[in-house]
Amino acid sequence: MGYLIQILAMTLAGLTALVLLFTLYMALTSPIPFLYNIRSVFVRWRATLATIAGIALVVGVYVSVQAMAVGLEKSSQNTGDPRNVMIVRKGSTAESSSQVTREQFKFINYLPQIARDDKGQPLISADVVVLLSLPRKENGGEANVLLRGVSPIGMNLRPQVALVEGRWFTPGRREVVVSRRLAARFANFAVGDKFKTGGKELTVSGVMDGANTAFDSEIWMDADESRALFDRENYSSVLLRVDDPAAGKVLIDRIESDKRLPLRALPEVDYYNSQTKTAGPIKFIGYFLAMAMSVGAIFAAMNTMYASVGARTREIGTLRVLGYRRLPILASFLIEGAFLSFAGGVLGCLLSFVMHGYSIGTMSLQSYSETVFQFRITPGLVAQGLIFSVIVGIWGSLLPAIRAARLPVIVALKSL
Amino acid sequence: MTIGSFILKNALRNKRRATLSVLSVAVSLFLLVTLLVALRELTIPPEDAGAALRVVVRSRISLANPLPARQRPIIERIPGVEAVSPFTWFGGNFKNEEGMTFAQFAMDPKLLRPIFGEAKMPEDQYEAFEKDQRSCILGKLTAEKYKLKVGDRITLASTIYPATLEFRIAGIYSGTIDDRNLLFHHKYFDEATGDLGQVGTWWVKVRSAEDMPRVTTAINAAFANSSSEVRAETERAFQLSFISMLGNVKLLVASISTVVVFTLILVTASTMSMAIRERFRELAVLKALGFRRRELFAFILAESFGLAVTGAVLGAGGAYFLYNYGNISKMTNGIFITFEVTPKIVGIAILVATGLGIVASIAPSISVARTSVVDGLKTLD
Repeated sequence: MGYLIQILAMTLAGLTALVLLFTLYMALTSPIPFLYNIRSVFVRWRATLATIAGIALVVGVYVSVQAMAVGLEKSSQNTGDPRNVMIVRKGSTAESSSQVTREQFKFINYLPQIARDDKGQPLISADVVVLLSLPRKENGGEANVLLRGVSPIGMNLRPQVALVEGRWFTPGRREVVVSRRLAARFANFAVGDKFKTGGKELTVSGVMDGANTAFDSEIWMDADESRALFDRENYSSVLLRVDDPAAGKVLIDRIESDKRLPLRALPEVDYYNSQTKTAGPIKFIGYFLAMAMSVGAIFAAMNTMYASVGARTREIGTLRVLGYRRLPILASFLIEGAFLSFAGGVLGCLLSFVMHGYSIGTMSLQSYSETVFQFRITPGLVAQGLIFSVIVGIWGSLLPAIRAARLPVIVALKSL
Repeated sequence: MTIGSFILKNALRNKRRATLSVLSVAVSLFLLVTLLVALRELTIPPEDAGAALRVVVRSRISLANPLPARQRPIIERIPGVEAVSPFTWFGGNFKNEEGMTFAQFAMDPKLLRPIFGEAKMPEDQYEAFEKDQRSCILGKLTAEKYKLKVGDRITLASTIYPATLEFRIAGIYSGTIDDRNLLFHHKYFDEATGDLGQVGTWWVKVRSAEDMPRVTTAINAAFANSSSEVRAETERAFQLSFISMLGNVKLLVASISTVVVFTLILVTASTMSMAIRERFRELAVLKALGFRRRELFAFILAESFGLAVTGAVLGAGGAYFLYNYGNISKMTNGIFITFEVTPKIVGIAILVATGLGIVASIAPSISVARTSVVDGLKTLD
């Protein structure tokens, strides 16, 4: 269904482009001054303003909803270091549903491609990922939060995460560091607070910031402590660093080709790039709303343009007498409709900027845990919004413009 | 000419404008009803027939955390408990499709009828399912979607466990609120995953509604301070717990609905103003003939109201027929199941349309009231 809507939208955009090309051609070859249209638009300013505002709201809604999808994708795509390789169980779609056994981890540990720090320690970390069902703030029910048990090396492998308040957890203690974004959404997430999960009490020792990455939706604690606490024999995933991309490729091939290892190795960046499925339904909602609302907007634009043509019947007759032909008049009204609607589009994009950076959260369809992300309005989205508004304008003014062009000169002049 | 036909004639004299206005109201109200129904479906999931007497037991840590199989006899001994079945999410991918389109659970086939009595199948299919440990039963909707029938084989690769299982379809059930799930033997699951001794959740059938509160409390208490604390709750509460996971979605749909309504008011009000300005002169003539202001207001209000209500009948009525008589589960690929337009939602739509009719008539009424007869007669537009 999503594809169908996309194809439909493309066809519409294509047809609009054709009409637009024709209009521009006409405007250039036999110009009725553009200023005439702009002035006409503002003569009936009340109706015009209502139409512009209507289109602005439609464009604003479309851009805002798509900005959510973009924000969600961005937070995933921001995540990861190009030098890192992530290893999960073959067939699992997310870390939270993956398992790596201790034997497998030992084997990976000895692979020669792994980079080492100045002390000669291999840069590799096995993490445990546990979903915790925790209460939201203000009695908002419960939601799953992703807890990552992480080793000191694992923290070094994720330089995007920085402590902003309190201190890091002490290994061996039941302490967690929560992300700033989650702290705003869940109860008992301030430094010093305690919360219970499955009868075990955890203390928040600090707050971290993930710099708009997927780590903004996680809470961290000591890896060994979390394995003991949640009774996990296996790890969830392994993250390691390689010296250069070539070594990375060798390592990935080595793991993927080993039939005894039911594991999947891939660049960390690629892993996070694949964690954007949740954006799909949001995009779909955006398209659906845009389609439905634009039909209403087209009717509104049509109404305004018909009224405009009706009121200017004599003017049109005069233009014809002055020697302007039918096609330039058609083009002139199309330009007017497109301009009207474009103004609405600009306004709509400005409106949607109010949402820019606003933080929201929903359940990820891959990890089944709360994902926090921000509305991100990109130049691409603004362009989409503007193109969309022009499409609405062109289709809304096509029929009125045809009517204007077909008015018989004498009748037009005689009209009151 | 009666007043009624006068208003009707006026409303329809510019047929194109009337049509366009009615249509834009209709489209917007259709959208509004759709959003409200979607919101309702997301926040109040449909209830299964047998749900009233079922308790779901999951790990206190989260649904994703497994429970030890040894808990079963302890729950079974609690007075008021009729049957306990493991219910483990398999998370299998079918035909390497992107994303799961139906859920699969490992359970105890003997307890299918006692616990999930609303799932109906022919007698021989029940028997076949119980007998063959490698068989499964499939909801009617999924079977239709993939053109699967009894006797077919299907293979599912789990995204959670290192296991790929092949099943023979022993039966196709229907009669639950959402006939899409695949159910299979927990024994088969245990074999394939190396007897982990773990289950996802326990589903418990309670003897009577009076026993429910006591049983849930007893189950919670039975494992308190153990290494695997549980949360036992009614099936309804369990379903509702998914809603808070959706996070800001509810607020989002609500705000979009508000914007839609606002846009609607804007556009309709502007159309009404256009219609009235066009006949300013006539209204002035009416005034000169001795019609009072409030009669003129009544004309305007009636026309605006008529347009809005006609639009509402088309839009909301269209939505009502489409969603309540169409197969929405098929249309949305199973994302939405019942998608019911409730009387309350129809009421909201009517209310919005009424408000719209009134609000849209305000601006034209004011300008008619302000203009003197002479000025009105002078208007050319």
